Amino acid sequence: MSTILRQHAENLFAQELEELKKQDDEHRPDNWVLSPRAVVTYLNGGKLKNGFEVSPKYIGNKRLMEIAVATLTTDRALLLYGLPGTAKSWVSEHLAAAISGNSTLIVQGTAGTGEEAIRYGWNYARLLAEGPTPNALVETPVMRAMKDGKIARIEELTRIGSDVQDALITILSEKSLPVPELNTEVQAIKGFNIIATANNRDKGVNELSSALKRRFNTVILPVPDSMEEEIDIVKRRVESFEKVMKLPAEPPALQEIRRIVTIFRELRSGVTLDGKTKVKMPTGTLSTAEAISVVNNGLSMAAYFGDGRLTAHDLAAGIIGAVVKDPVQDKIVWNEYLETVLKTREDWKDIYRACRDLGV
Amino acid sequence: MAIHILGIRHHGPGSARNVKQFLEQVKPDIVLVEGPPEADGILQWAASEEMKPPVSILCFQPENPQQAVFYPFAEFSPEWQAILYARKNNIHVRFMDLPVAHKFALDEEKKQAVAVNDKADIDPALQSDADIPVQLQPAEEADISEAAPQRFRVDPISELAAAAGFADGEKWWEHMVEYRKDTQELFEAVEEMMSELREAFPDTDNKMEQLREAHMRKTIRQAEREMFGNIAVICGAWHAPALKNMPKQKEDNDLLKGLPKVKVDCTWIPWTYSRLSFNSGYGAGIWSPGWYEHIWHHPNDDGTRWMALVAKLFRAQQIDTSVAHVMEAVRLAEALAALRNLPKAGLEELNEATLSVLCNGENILLKLVNDKLIISDRLGSVPVEIPKPPLQLDIERLQKKLRLPATAEQKEYTLDLRKEMDLERSNLLHRLRLLDIKWGRQSNVSGSGTFKELWTLKWEPEFSIEIIEKGTWGSTVEDATSSFILHQAKEANTLPVVCSLLERAIPAALPVAVEKLIQAVNNLAATSDDVVQLMDVIPPLVNVSRYGNVRNTDAGMVLNIVESMIERVCVSLPAACVSVDDDASAALLEHFREMTDAVNLLQQATLNTQWQQTLLVIAGNQSTSPSVSGYATRLLSDYKILAGEELTKKFHQAMSPAIAPAIAAAWLEGFLKGSGTILLLDNELWAVLDNWMQQLEEDIFIQVLPLLRRTFSNFAKPERKKMGEKAKHGTTGITVRQTNADPDHERAAKGIPVIMKLFNYPM
Repeated sequence: MSTILRQHAENLFAQELEELKKQDDEHRPDNWVLSPRAVVTYLNGGKLKNGFEVSPKYIGNKRLMEIAVATLTTDRALLLYGLPGTAKSWVSEHLAAAISGNSTLIVQGTAGTGEEAIRYGWNYARLLAEGPTPNALVETPVMRAMKDGKIARIEELTRIGSDVQDALITILSEKSLPVPELNTEVQAIKGFNIIATANNRDKGVNELSSALKRRFNTVILPVPDSMEEEIDIVKRRVESFEKVMKLPAEPPALQEIRRIVTIFRELRSGVTLDGKTKVKMPTGTLSTAEAISVVNNGLSMAAYFGDGRLTAHDLAAGIIGAVVKDPVQDKIVWNEYLETVLKTREDWKDIYRACRDLGV
Repeated sequence: MAIHILGIRHHGPGSARNVKQFLEQVKPDIVLVEGPPEADGILQWAASEEMKPPVSILCFQPENPQQAVFYPFAEFSPEWQAILYARKNNIHVRFMDLPVAHKFALDEEKKQAVAVNDKADIDPALQSDADIPVQLQPAEEADISEAAPQRFRVDPISELAAAAGFADGEKWWEHMVEYRKDTQELFEAVEEMMSELREAFPDTDNKMEQLREAHMRKTIRQAEREMFGNIAVICGAWHAPALKNMPKQKEDNDLLKGLPKVKVDCTWIPWTYSRLSFNSGYGAGIWSPGWYEHIWHHPNDDGTRWMALVAKLFRAQQIDTSVAHVMEAVRLAEALAALRNLPKAGLEELNEATLSVLCNGENILLKLVNDKLIISDRLGSVPVEIPKPPLQLDIERLQKKLRLPATAEQKEYTLDLRKEMDLERSNLLHRLRLLDIKWGRQSNVSGSGTFKELWTLKWEPEFSIEIIEKGTWGSTVEDATSSFILHQAKEANTLPVVCSLLERAIPAALPVAVEKLIQAVNNLAATSDDVVQLMDVIPPLVNVSRYGNVRNTDAGMVLNIVESMIERVCVSLPAACVSVDDDASAALLEHFREMTDAVNLLQQATLNTQWQQTLLVIAGNQSTSPSVSGYATRLLSDYKILAGEELTKKFHQAMSPAIAPAIAAAWLEGFLKGSGTILLLDNELWAVLDNWMQQLEEDIFIQVLPLLRRTFSNFAKPERKKMGEKAKHGTTGITVRQTNADPDHERAAKGIPVIMKLFNYPM
């Protein structure tokens, strides 16, 4: 077993990708590892002709993944849009892994991301010693992706300043990256494309210019439609976490997951699942990803501090931590929810008491 | 001799194309179409130049027009293409479904047998895919919602689709049949498929279906007997196997023998695409009439033309859409189709491409595409020479004259009643509303003045039924409306109903009816002992009489009866205010308020004086119920009839210790109803109240406290706050009137130039 904390998608699911490749006899776009349809199968899961089971990576509307993959076969780039925690980065990683076999060509967008992080930079020691030469040039993941015909990923595109964002326009429309200092350019090899992610909540941060927007097809990843879908997601992700972390705790009871998902959905939608009672909504997003981390957190607590069984007490702290993001407003929201909704549920006494004991 | 059975899907553009091609190939000498045989006679108009689908055959019972069935056709309906082919080539075309006459009669029987659940006659499975006639009673929403859950039962086509790996039966059929360009042997394939389905999902206990199929076979046999050699039969795919394998003639004849019958009339009416869609509750509906029309006209469009339409729509909404956008969207749609192993991008792919490329992932704009393009608000039209009920003709004539076209789209009109044209338009809309034809909806117009009206117009195809039904009242809109409302007035014969009719009839400009209604009101008012009822109807009538100024109607007549009614009220009101319980007096107070407003509105000195006299009598009468008496006093003080000294005296009297506290408090409640401002401004009054309060014994105070509290809780919060402050500061109050008897004229004069300058007056 490797000692790496978190494996890349292409390593973690190497076997699945290998099997898909073996079974895949359809037309592949240039430099793609798999055919578009196989990529969709990889993401949505399914059974191969030889009976091999591919696990679903994205649980939800199958058509969204089809649009995403179809976009990447055209010459438009893909923009995944959605609330924090709706598996945007997750999908982008798996898309890159399945299409290029490499999900590591990534630029993390921040307010401080400069143009040199997207186009190219210079090794200044070399630049001073040798002048502008190809050797002094520092390639970015985007440049490497262009050279190799692979998928480059840009995380949190809207966090990058507008002037820097626009550096992408030439790359996306001309598919080339001029290097005037060397009087040359890098022309993208077939198979190159960009997957960017951005989230709704920070919409106002650095809105994409319309010129850049035009180069992207947008796919909005929604929060899970149904309770069952969300439970499924949480369960799968938690199980894979256990595998990676080698936790000695018992696998989480479905019932516990159901309760957390219920709490999150109710607070997110502002109404109880039976639709009878309105509840206040907290400031945080309470995404599925957060539900996953609450369960993971609870499992660790149970494994290291408890008796290995996941109980309400192990989960309480995580739930409160996820809900109460603003110490004043959210506290009121949470206490009200606790007293008016959780308290009244007969078989939820343990979780109510556990949350009460922690008292925010 | 050959009989060709063509199983189709109603309103399927692919089916329509196949039918057309097939007919041109085999050249039949008679075409039999699934539809009501009663309508054979009106088929002659189908090929007319002026006939523009979507149109519908309307079959109705003349005695009971609400009992009606529609058979809608779009240009891309296979039946329509078959009829057109037959008309253009001058061959016979006949409808072969079970006559509607039997159907209505059977329905009627069933309705009588089972009072509830009278809609069970249409098989749910067929309703979703292969059944054209729809019993749609437009006025009843319930019917529409009732049809919906039936779709959730087993749908045989969905079973096949599931077997083929499609999630939705509609989609599957679309890709298998409608989008297909190669049509060879398609009809055989469809028929085979349906035979399998009919075996797997037998539908033997549905009597109506059996009757229908028996009648279809009967019509085919009849055609054979008439020595037609080459017969083409167009029917819903589901029925195809049943027509192919003919049972013995006798069985069918036995089945059809002795069916009950009613009289049925048929006509063509314009139809809309939105009524063709499922959303309207039409059982054999389709999701996307606009899209179907598009692929009917442009079968080879790869999506470019469609995306160009979408782009045009977006541009009209000021959404920047470049040609590059269209290209990218088409490309994405094609990529999606390839990914899904489809030969051609369908509507879903195009929609998804629109969403992703043109709308930045937001599906709000997609709704616009859905409303305007996919469903589209197209309204068909029918030739003028089709025999129509006279009322319909009159409405059409007026629509043309007043330039108010009937459209399926919502349209707003602001009418300026000072203009003759607009006035006539308004009259028409008001009249139609009286006839329960709800074409126009009136909303409040912004700005003041009574000469403006805001109407929202939307034509619904089912108005045709309403028009036929109301046709019994007269052959012009004016006549029909007049006799209809007079009939209603006669039926009801109560003051409120007749008055509300009168109120609605005045803006509709119906002098004859209005005169009769006024007479009726007068008679009813004379015999009515109920003064409250009279007070109820006066305010709306007063409003009506104001209308007279803008519309050249004779409001004088209304004014006359209003006057006489007010006189009646004035005479009998004092007696009606004696010994009334609390609830009744609360209601009375409301009537007092409205009456006062009405009298003020009329601005007639004599009526005013009369009303004030009445109030004085009421306020002065010892036995008037206290809250009414209080309110009357208040109204008098508003009129300045009672003021200063006298008002204070009244207050003292009513609040004097001899009066039981509960009564005093009720009086106060009546007096202070509405607003406490008077208390804040009038220090004398305040003092009276304050004195009275301070004189109260503690236990009596406790007794009246709830009543006082109730009175004061009606005031606005700032008022209450001010009163509290005023009470705290003692009787002097905080509103002190400052009067300086001797202003310093010299100093004041110095300010004048500045003020003049501020107002920009030349000095």
